Amino acid sequence: MAELVIHILNGISYGMILFLLASGLSFTIGIMGILNLTHGSLYMIGAYVGLSMVGMGGDFWFAALVGGVITALIGLILERTFFRFLYKQINEQVLLTLGFVYIFSNLVLWIWGPFPKIAAAPSYLVQSIVIGNFSFPVYRFALIVIGLIIGAGMWWFQEKTKIGAIVRAGMDDKEMTMGLGINYGVIASSTLCLGAFLGGLAGFLGAPILGAQSDMGFPILLLTLVVIVVGGEGSVQGALVGALLVGIIDAFGRAFFPDFAMFTVYAILIAFLLVKPTGLFGRR
Amino acid sequence: MNTRPDIYVKNNRNTGKRSVVAGLTLLSILLISLPPFMGPYGESMITQILIFSIFAMGLNIVVGYTGLFSMGHAAFFGVAGYTAGIMMVHYGIVNFWIIAPISIVLATLFAALFGIIALRVSGLYFLFVTLALGELLHSVAWKWRSMTGGADGLTGIPYPSLGFPFNMNATHFYYLVFIIFVVSVGLLYGIAKSPFGSALQGIREDEHRMQHLGYNTWMYKYLAFIIAGFFSGVSGMLFASFANVMAPEHLGVHTATLAVLMIILGSDRVFFGPMIGATIVLFLQYYASTFAPERWPLILGTVFVLSVMFLRGGISIHLIKFWNKMGSWYASTKT
Repeated sequence: MAELVIHILNGISYGMILFLLASGLSFTIGIMGILNLTHGSLYMIGAYVGLSMVGMGGDFWFAALVGGVITALIGLILERTFFRFLYKQINEQVLLTLGFVYIFSNLVLWIWGPFPKIAAAPSYLVQSIVIGNFSFPVYRFALIVIGLIIGAGMWWFQEKTKIGAIVRAGMDDKEMTMGLGINYGVIASSTLCLGAFLGGLAGFLGAPILGAQSDMGFPILLLTLVVIVVGGEGSVQGALVGALLVGIIDAFGRAFFPDFAMFTVYAILIAFLLVKPTGLFGRR
Repeated sequence: MNTRPDIYVKNNRNTGKRSVVAGLTLLSILLISLPPFMGPYGESMITQILIFSIFAMGLNIVVGYTGLFSMGHAAFFGVAGYTAGIMMVHYGIVNFWIIAPISIVLATLFAALFGIIALRVSGLYFLFVTLALGELLHSVAWKWRSMTGGADGLTGIPYPSLGFPFNMNATHFYYLVFIIFVVSVGLLYGIAKSPFGSALQGIREDEHRMQHLGYNTWMYKYLAFIIAGFFSGVSGMLFASFANVMAPEHLGVHTATLAVLMIILGSDRVFFGPMIGATIVLFLQYYASTFAPERWPLILGTVFVLSVMFLRGGISIHLIKFWNKMGSWYASTKT
């Protein structure tokens, strides 16, 4: 029983990292129609920048913020110089962003070296709670709380604010929204920046439990895509439910079928695409 | 889906046909007579280009002609390669006439199965499904250590034996690849120029209109998917012997998108475009691995970015314009 609880908690805390990634990427796809495969690389860059900040004596939370801001800037540069020429051209977007996946992972390898790094959690969060015969790190609880707070904030932003209403309107009918005199480009760019920020933030927040290495960008991206497909694109609730589902299934897969861990996740993806391609909470 | 402006190459039909025949003859003579002068590096380079040209040109039936962006055809490349490799390494069967049909048929069967799954959805989701199916096989190859060698790859794959009394060496293998390349190009050309090929292009441009004209577009897309899978299999089977090794990454998204890059770089609207793309990518890879092997992903990524941003029509379009200009210049000198 205690073991079951541990696996579920592990899954939920991992799911929170996936949620931060998926909510950002899902809005980028929903609003801009841009499949940004560099999202996993931004996650990686956020982790490494945060590690460097901590190395320079920065506070843990400050380092996480700096990581997020830097990735948001990278996202903005990518959007202004490349993505805006490729609206609605999915094939070209895939090739372009995949090229950047190679570039970023090689640059990170060049700058930070080939050895995996791990961040230390803040000193007041390093203890563990004992559940049955197992111990569970407090930091993972903190992750769950952070994820829920950000999720609640994003839900409020999307459902209750004017900008959120514009964003939702844009996802349903872009031309009509622009016709109403709304400067849609600015909104879209800011959404991409926000998504990139959350991705970078997730990278460093995940670093104490997942570490950082130069080839971590693509596997986490695949998991994020699974979350988006399961939850449905352009929906905060969908991203949260999808992330928790994928996180828990992944945790159980790793514990009970270690040989088929990724296999189970891909199987879910394919099953969902065939049975319910719009996802659980999809807009379409 | 496909909002890119179309690039049609206009040329006089007669001189066009004649110049194509002339070009092909010249290319064939070069490819047949060169090996003794090239040395081992050049020979392996051209072998590799021919193998990947089969892959990319076959894949272009789906990506270019039908307009379905598959990120999963490396799966069939890898299935054929692993099948051939496992038969040779684990079971000691080296006879080409047994290995080739089995590995290619298996790859085609996988394509037939994956095609049913992938073609249930379209657009972005088609891309995700093909990606996931490829990665699924990637993780199988990663985990099934006893057969596939896991992450280290399946090593020590020999050249197949043709049943002739002499032992196969690199030059013989080159000629084998060359013959298979010529046959594949012939088949692909037939497919591309047939009514079937035209129907595929019709589906790319306007699927609804094709449906209203009475075409069973699903069946056309499905057949295109399988045909590309077949040629991916041919290529993968040859690649296993060429590289002596199969690794899980040969099944996954890395290899699949490399082939798509060759298509886009060379041009997906010109029959021989993917071959031009394959040549450029593989030459870059060769020079990068000589001078800066650890920076290859950086260079490859830059090629991806540059070809998407600046070479949207593909390099072949410019080459064809140049060739036609040369042709009309030559014609003007005679009169």
